[in-house]
Amino acid sequence: MTGKVAFSNVSKSFGAVKALVEFSLSIDEGELLTLLGPSGCGKSTALRVAAGFETPDSGDVSIGGTSILSLPANKRGIGMVFQNYSLFPHLTVTQNLEFGMRVRNISRDKRSARVGELLELVRLSGLSDRYPHQISGGQQQRVALARALAVEPRVLLLDEPLSSLDATVRIEVREEIRRIQRASGIATIFVTHDQEEALAISDRICVMSIGRIEQVGAPDVVYRSPATEFVARFVGKVNDIEIEVLSSTKARLHGHSQEIEIASAGKNAGLGAARLLIRPEDVQIVRPDSARPNVRGTVKTINFGGATTTADVEISGTGHLVRVADSTRNMRYRVGDSVHIAFDTERALLARGGA
Amino acid sequence: MNSRVAGSLNKRARHLAFAPYAIFLLVFLVWPGLYVFRSAFDQGSAPKNPMIEAVTGQYRSSFIFSLRLSFVSAILGLVIGATVAVALMRLSHVRGLRNVVVGYSAVAANMGGIPLAFAFLAAFGMQGLATRLLKGINIDLIGWGFRISDFWGIVLVYLYFQIPLMTLVIVPALDGLRRTWSEAAQSLGASTRQYWRFVALPILTPALLGGFLLLVANAFAAYATAFALSAGSSKLVTVQIRFFLQGETITGKTNLGYALAAWMVIITAFLVLGFQVLSRRAERWRR
Amino acid sequence: MRRGRAGAWLVLVVVFVYYLVPMIAMTRFAFQRIPVIKLSFGNLFDKWTIAPLIETFKEPEFRSSASLSVQLAIATAALTLILLVPTMAVAHLRSKRMRRMIELSSTLPFVVPAIALVVGFAGAFRETLPMFIRSPFGLVPLYVITALPFTHRALENGLAALDLRTLVDASQSLGATWYRTVVFVIVPNIRASIATAAFLALTVVLGEFTIASLLLKNTLPLYLSYSQGQNPQGSFAVGLVLILISTIFVASSNRLGKVVRS
Repeated sequence: MTGKVAFSNVSKSFGAVKALVEFSLSIDEGELLTLLGPSGCGKSTALRVAAGFETPDSGDVSIGGTSILSLPANKRGIGMVFQNYSLFPHLTVTQNLEFGMRVRNISRDKRSARVGELLELVRLSGLSDRYPHQISGGQQQRVALARALAVEPRVLLLDEPLSSLDATVRIEVREEIRRIQRASGIATIFVTHDQEEALAISDRICVMSIGRIEQVGAPDVVYRSPATEFVARFVGKVNDIEIEVLSSTKARLHGHSQEIEIASAGKNAGLGAARLLIRPEDVQIVRPDSARPNVRGTVKTINFGGATTTADVEISGTGHLVRVADSTRNMRYRVGDSVHIAFDTERALLARGGA
Repeated sequence: MNSRVAGSLNKRARHLAFAPYAIFLLVFLVWPGLYVFRSAFDQGSAPKNPMIEAVTGQYRSSFIFSLRLSFVSAILGLVIGATVAVALMRLSHVRGLRNVVVGYSAVAANMGGIPLAFAFLAAFGMQGLATRLLKGINIDLIGWGFRISDFWGIVLVYLYFQIPLMTLVIVPALDGLRRTWSEAAQSLGASTRQYWRFVALPILTPALLGGFLLLVANAFAAYATAFALSAGSSKLVTVQIRFFLQGETITGKTNLGYALAAWMVIITAFLVLGFQVLSRRAERWRR
Repeated sequence: MRRGRAGAWLVLVVVFVYYLVPMIAMTRFAFQRIPVIKLSFGNLFDKWTIAPLIETFKEPEFRSSASLSVQLAIATAALTLILLVPTMAVAHLRSKRMRRMIELSSTLPFVVPAIALVVGFAGAFRETLPMFIRSPFGLVPLYVITALPFTHRALENGLAALDLRTLVDASQSLGATWYRTVVFVIVPNIRASIATAAFLALTVVLGEFTIASLLLKNTLPLYLSYSQGQNPQGSFAVGLVLILISTIFVASSNRLGKVVRS
């Protein structure tokens, strides 16, 4: 039943605002792909175009090789979960789950058998006769998910389904969604602005900004090797350090004499002022006599974060603050300690322009 | 003084703050209300209990007339008011239209009384402007037996405040329909018609039904307009009650007026209670 | 979609005509010096005059009833505010239960129609406190009750939009008494809803007929009803003025209500 979903050159504007520009992307069978980006980046528009709630200005959307643009929303065979309040308030959990089957005239016996399965799938069997306002937000979203699956859609669209939930419930429902998606093997597009959520749940992530795709890739690839400055900044934390590029392999911290290696990061950078975008875990505290080029600094703050701890180190002489992350086991420093830090620039990104 | 004493004093002071309002209501609302019921059940030297007499014979037909009028004007108000609200929804792209209509609805819903009766007399009375205008195009209202003081005449006038009252009830209810409900229904395979039939209409029902009861109660309690239209001779229960208070009454039946009033209170109480229950349900769904 | 819009316009136009016709008829009847039987399209612009209104304004009966209505309206608005503002403020501060009780009590006048209220009032007070029935100002408490559902709603909206607790704590921590807190802190903060409530009370009183008619007090609506026979043009003209006034009052209370909500 499921099939590959493909957007090809889809453009959509709302007045002067370009929500999607030549948007092309395909989602494989059984894959969970996340559209990640800040609000207004066009990720929800892409979803709504696929669902049939928006008509694109140009381009095409297909499922299993067949264009679906000519079909109205109720004929597309798409299951959708919304941010919140999408359950029908006057129907019980069971009646909500049955809704799609009722409008398809599926027999009562089949309906109730399917409802039983679904309730088991989302582990809510005890709540079948409750009304939406009688169950929690997390439970409501699980019912919404089950309801979308009830009609065995070819594609599942999830529009920020977790963003109105509390932090702890959010993780619980997130894992639930992942488990159910794996079990059902249905092609799924998940929209979120939360990078942590995207990293945790996705097979692949598509990072978007103002209507365009910045990068598509597996979560670890997007995180480790951001293709653009936007991705580096939006996914995960990043240090932004002013440097002067001396050659294709060497650079110097702005206002500092120490040279550092930029061999792989510096491929496209010209000489002169630039910025080094480097993740906190790619900055290490090293022994002063380390073979690696390092600079001296002072620990200004320590942020304990459970398994990992970060430290903000002020580089001596320049006053720059650099964030360093390491496992808590290794991070045995205190505020005021004098330390040496080294930059592992292999996965860092070089951006044009200085201060 | 220990804290518990202070607390209870505080509490007493707190209750004291509500005393003027409570006493006012007791004296000017509850007491008259109880007086109506006490007198209504007081048979005195009359041959029949007034509460029974009030729902037999000519008084029974008065109640039926009043209730029929209330229901008919409420149903028409509901249908037309809902149509106006839906029309507004369709025309939501016209800027300012909604504000104008809703604003005027608030004004018209509060209209009534003598001036409104005058306006309709001027338009639809025997020599009314609209009456003669319609006759000019062969719509002879008077010839067909239409009188502004009769049943359908009063309905026509009551609609002037019933329609906007309903519009005021429905517009927020329509606003309460979330876009996600219609989109969820569509993504589950429902057509627009199925969405209205299985989702929107059931969700709106409490508000519609509650609004309907409000309209019935509204028309049922009305007095001035019908009084002015009929020069004081209407069959309406409210107008009938007047005779008893003004002493234009058959001796031995002094408490009959109270009984009519008591029945009115009972009927409106049920209507208002129904309205409250339904709007509470509508409220709960909206969360 | 196009057809749906045309239909929607049609609905609004038909309803608009229904609303317009009685008002036009009334206006022409009151302000044109043409016998009603001769009013037609042809003389729509002929012989307009405001003489009926001016002449009525000179009548002593009109003057006394108009002045009575205005006095009653002001007294009703004043009593409503004196009674409701402090009570509701305390309820908002102290007790959710009280707030709900007051809310419930404010809907009671819907349950007891004006006609039943006045019948009970007349019966109950005739024996015990007849001055309330004799004096026209005996109407004021009944009017306060009739207007209660509307005035309560207006004040409730205003109070609900305020963080009353913080305001009062701040005021009292600065040493203000409860009386000063109400007058100088609470009232200025809800002045829009106080104005709304007052407008609604005025509207109710200026249009009220049932109670005044049964207690035989010569308010403006009663004057209209009685003078309809001898001075039809004049009474229709005054009726139109009343409609205009209540339109302005309701419209301004609406506008103020929006200010409160935003």
